[in-house]
Amino acid sequence: MELKSTDARTSPSAGSSQSSRRKQNALQEARTRQLEQEFKTKHLGVLGILAWVLLLHVVGIYFFTKGFLLTRMVLETKSSCEILPTTDESGRAIPSSTESRSGCWHEKTFDKAVVIIIDALRYDFTVPFPSANEGQTAHLFHNNIPVLYETAVQSPSNAFLLPFIADPPTTTLQRLKGLTTGTLPTFIDAGSNFAGTAIDEDNLVAQLHHAGKTLVQLGDDTWQSLFPGYFDANLTHPYDSFNVWDLHTVDNGVNEHLFPLLRPEHKSKWDVIFGHYLGVDHAGHRYGPDHAAMAAKLQEMDRVIRQIMDSLDDDTLLVVMGDHGMDTKGDHGGESDDEVQAALWMYSNRGVFGRTSKETLLPPQHARERSVPQIDLVPTLSLLLGMPIPFNNLGSPIEEAFAGSNGNDWSNLLAVNRLSAAQIKRYQHAYAQARGAGEDDESFALWTAAEAEWSSASKGFLSKSNAVRSSYKLYRDYQRHTLEVCRGLWARFDVPSMVSGVALLFFGLVLLVIYARGLTVDRTDMTSPLLTVAGMGAGAGAVSGVCMALFGVVDTTIVDSSVLLAAFGSMLGGLSVLVKKPASLSLPLPNGMWGWLAFFFTVSQSVGFASNSYTIWEDDILLFFLTTFGVCAGISSMRQRATADRVLGVYHSVLFIVLGRLASFSRLCREEQMPFCRSTYYASSTSSVSAPWQLTIPVMVALILPGVVRAFYAGSKSYEGAASLWIGFAFRLGLVITSIFWMLEGADDGEWLPLGKETLKSIRVFLAQLVLALAFGAGTAAYLYCKPCITISVSKPTEDPNAPPAPFIAGQQQPPRTTVTILGFGNVYGTRFFFLVVNFALAIILMQKPMGQGAIALLVCQVLSLLEILDTNGLTLSNSSIGPIVLGLLGSFYFFKTGHQAVLSTIQWETAFIPLSTIKYPWSPLLVVLNTFGAQILTAIAVPLTVLWKRPLRTSELGSQPSSDKTANPATKLLSDVTQAATTHILYLATINLATTMWAGHLRRHLMLYRIFSPRFMMGAVVLGLVDVVLMLVAVGGVRWSTVSVGDVFGW
Amino acid sequence: MTSSNTSSAAPTPGSLSQAPAEKPSAPPINVLPSQLAQSYSLAHPVVLLGLCAWRFEAVVESTTRELLRDLPWLAALQFVYVITCLPPAGSSFGEVTPGPEDKKRASRSSTGSSAPVRPGKSSHRRKTSAKISWASVWARLMPASLAFGLTTLLATPAIAILLVLFGAPLTTHNVETFLCAAHMALLSSTPLIYVHGVDATVWKEVWGISRPADIVWGSALGTGLGAWFGAIPIPLDWDRTWQAFPITILTGAYIGYAMGGLLSRTPFVYGKRIQFAPGPADEDEKKTN
Repeated sequence: MELKSTDARTSPSAGSSQSSRRKQNALQEARTRQLEQEFKTKHLGVLGILAWVLLLHVVGIYFFTKGFLLTRMVLETKSSCEILPTTDESGRAIPSSTESRSGCWHEKTFDKAVVIIIDALRYDFTVPFPSANEGQTAHLFHNNIPVLYETAVQSPSNAFLLPFIADPPTTTLQRLKGLTTGTLPTFIDAGSNFAGTAIDEDNLVAQLHHAGKTLVQLGDDTWQSLFPGYFDANLTHPYDSFNVWDLHTVDNGVNEHLFPLLRPEHKSKWDVIFGHYLGVDHAGHRYGPDHAAMAAKLQEMDRVIRQIMDSLDDDTLLVVMGDHGMDTKGDHGGESDDEVQAALWMYSNRGVFGRTSKETLLPPQHARERSVPQIDLVPTLSLLLGMPIPFNNLGSPIEEAFAGSNGNDWSNLLAVNRLSAAQIKRYQHAYAQARGAGEDDESFALWTAAEAEWSSASKGFLSKSNAVRSSYKLYRDYQRHTLEVCRGLWARFDVPSMVSGVALLFFGLVLLVIYARGLTVDRTDMTSPLLTVAGMGAGAGAVSGVCMALFGVVDTTIVDSSVLLAAFGSMLGGLSVLVKKPASLSLPLPNGMWGWLAFFFTVSQSVGFASNSYTIWEDDILLFFLTTFGVCAGISSMRQRATADRVLGVYHSVLFIVLGRLASFSRLCREEQMPFCRSTYYASSTSSVSAPWQLTIPVMVALILPGVVRAFYAGSKSYEGAASLWIGFAFRLGLVITSIFWMLEGADDGEWLPLGKETLKSIRVFLAQLVLALAFGAGTAAYLYCKPCITISVSKPTEDPNAPPAPFIAGQQQPPRTTVTILGFGNVYGTRFFFLVVNFALAIILMQKPMGQGAIALLVCQVLSLLEILDTNGLTLSNSSIGPIVLGLLGSFYFFKTGHQAVLSTIQWETAFIPLSTIKYPWSPLLVVLNTFGAQILTAIAVPLTVLWKRPLRTSELGSQPSSDKTANPATKLLSDVTQAATTHILYLATINLATTMWAGHLRRHLMLYRIFSPRFMMGAVVLGLVDVVLMLVAVGGVRWSTVSVGDVFGW
Repeated sequence: MTSSNTSSAAPTPGSLSQAPAEKPSAPPINVLPSQLAQSYSLAHPVVLLGLCAWRFEAVVESTTRELLRDLPWLAALQFVYVITCLPPAGSSFGEVTPGPEDKKRASRSSTGSSAPVRPGKSSHRRKTSAKISWASVWARLMPASLAFGLTTLLATPAIAILLVLFGAPLTTHNVETFLCAAHMALLSSTPLIYVHGVDATVWKEVWGISRPADIVWGSALGTGLGAWFGAIPIPLDWDRTWQAFPITILTGAYIGYAMGGLLSRTPFVYGKRIQFAPGPADEDEKKTN
């Protein structure tokens, strides 16, 4: 944009009297300072409002989550050797079949055990791939660890192999809890994978420790956080578990310390060894299962197991198991079949294992045929080692382990099942008492029947074998039935808490609707009464909450009730302020086609989340909506009267649609989308590395993206001032370094370079840190101090005598004027603020895999296109809701286009290691957030641009001339518009969040709850909180500096 | 960039009032007044819907083959329909003599009453009373061949591209996409081209969705909207064979075609234009694209 005007203040002839000029200048300066101060104060107030909104959201989500995520009471009672579970309450011991001294509750079978956990050992890795499987070829993960199957088939009395079903969430920490306590996981623990906490329930490790056994733990350090102090400090060697790029350190470490312990001279030093190998899991995370690295790793594990078998003595039990499986990408966490089906294999030199029937002789080909739950390991291992069964256990002894080598030791089976059933009954009784609830009728009936059969079996001689078998079966039924009851029981939701959470979110939404869409006055004027009254309401609510909790009116903790009432109180306060002056309110109904379109997008998407199909296909639906918006933009542009507006509008609409469709080719399918979806994000559908051709994407981004941004700047002649340095040099440099980084990454994966892994890694870390320093360090500093993107040139009046009089200074002294040409004048606010988007785009691009980098680059272009569309259709100044809401759609859309889905297993944990070589708090989680929600963060930062892009400059002295508006300070009008845009953007996300919350709560008994609705709810909640924070601290926060820098140049 | 930006203090380009084009454009189209035209124009959508319902099973069974086989029949039906019922482009069959009414309409079109339509009706009633000569047959065949030519060459590829942009698969199902586009083009574009030819003013209105409602425009718009809504059931997990890609979209297009055509003939809708700018009227219409 070019502007020619005379600058009255610097015009030489203007000041006739020096003193009056000085006085005028001083006055003006004071006024400027005052206006600037007013802007800054109001800006802080707006941040306060956004913080209040954030708090309301957090409280609402907290209350819903508290009631929604499964809770289970933890009983701290421990089983002890002295008290048999078959002892009834009066303490009178019911005669037990085991009087043995060589075991606690039951005669022990083994003295020692080596428990090997191969993380993510999926069951189908261990069974031979059926060659006659209609044309399918074996994958690289098949047939590489044959030892388990071989031994189980060749010597069934020495070994057995079974599918081992994990209870989701399939994260290692949760699985270790299940594998040692024998209880079901509660959902609330799923998030604590980054920082494990000690288990205080009764568990196998504690029992072994209590019995004076020497325990050794090698490998994954998660064990140390779960069982601190239980392991022998000298022999134990934990290793960092989160560096998923490293396939070998942990495994080599376990091998190094395990085999010496197995030598005869060291056998007396230990009783139980827990060895936890991570190589398979890391190979899965890094490369996906169908990769040569996985095959090599499995073969290595095969050798390790054979080596352990060779050095095993007769009294030692060898257990090899996976704690969970992995999906087709090699990730885990969810509850798909591939993720829950692990393998369990037990081996002993003595032939003690058996099969009770011919059908179970061979290990099943698939988990559908036969499987055991993972918690079954707990009673099995306890009784085999002569330990009491942990108090909370719900598992049953595994049949193969107790059936005797002939498979007909029914009395032993009966004995162990009676013990575990009795322990379960005791636990159920204690749990029911603690909760004040009765016991389940059906389990009681099963138990009574089993007891009756058992007593007849111990008395009658004739019918003995039949009675033993039926009694065994009844005990087993009892145990399985109780397990099912508990599964149902612990899916018990705290409905009042959920309802209060939903109510908070709903009223928050109502307030937000009024604030964002219903106010007709300057929003910044509302700040102080709003915050004051809301604060008073919160205080009153908190006090009354404390009182109610103290006097026992409500049944919750003091903190909960006071927080709940404080939130409601502040909302009531806020509402009373907002509706006090009806004159300043308008009905917050959508206005015009654009308003209705924005409303339609938000509401129809929210309604769609009630259906699992629309949740699964959200990515395609977002493309459909975005294209619809693009078409509407094109139509609207065709209606523009000015040819320039029409042409540009149509051009950018077409660009917007095509870019979106282009981005849609980057996709990572979720399991439920199969077979109608083809993943393109990685090299193949069973891999998590990029294909070689994808490495050209970062290079293309570095070549093209800065040029595109430059073109948009140049369109308003704003490629001036700092812009060329920032976009043309720094941004491009950062992108070039990023592409080098990903080249090296690819070289490391494919082993193309003759450099060591360590060298490559340290070079990469350095490069990545350099980019982040450029984006956040240098970028932020430059953003704070940078001048607007303009060039001012002053030309002498003689040069251009025929120049038309300046448009807005007319009426002042005319004759000797200086012509000031300001390049970039038409878009001073937008281009200055856009630097912030550039900074974050650089950092976010670094954190994405190559395909995602292309997607983020497309996002930047699409955002710019959107801004041009908004400008050419006159939607920038009319505060239309469509801009912020389409940005919301774009954010969600590109979340899917950067290799994510609304499921836990698509979180790309390994990206935490892009700029770091170890886990560092708080940086590692932040980096993963930057990777996962990069698109939403970027679009949130772009939200102020919907009112700033090509916003005409208006300062008070200029604005006051044509019509003396009552708003003395135009900067507060700008601030009000930015606030409106920001709250409208929040409105979109808050509606989505409320909808997903309500649907998750409503469909809490739905089959697909944990696969589909719950992850979507969690995603919606996290995105809402995150975007609230980003809008407050970065987007609206950043407006302060861009506006001040414009004000410094042009006045206020 | 817009010129108004140079004068920085002035508000941005005409944003609030988006009146349609200044030039007078073609008025809403009426069906030819003959008895045959009037009755067939009512029967035609019913026939098409009946065809759609009758062949639905077959389409579900083998989509591409059936859609291809239906294409000539649809073309023939559309041909008969435009020849019998609609005034061809460049003819005076349905033209309205531009008068003072038109200017009035252009200026207050947002309220879009059906006022300017009446004289049109009477005018063509007068003219078509002349007996049909060879010249008039020729005057119909020329636009018809133009319509079918452009439908094949331009409208079908354009709609196919639009379908892909809306998310239709690009690497697979190309035949389905093209057949779907061909059906939609025959439904929407053929009558439009037959009636308006290549009148730039009219087509500018078409791209801006600002044509006054009439049978041709209504059914074209209905086809698009119907196809849009037809995409909705596709993702649902009902495991029905008819949920496969083009079937619901095409069904929606057919229903939209019939509904749009019939609806826009009712006096309540006839002659009105869709408004984009904020205004109190007709929110239902604006909500949809």
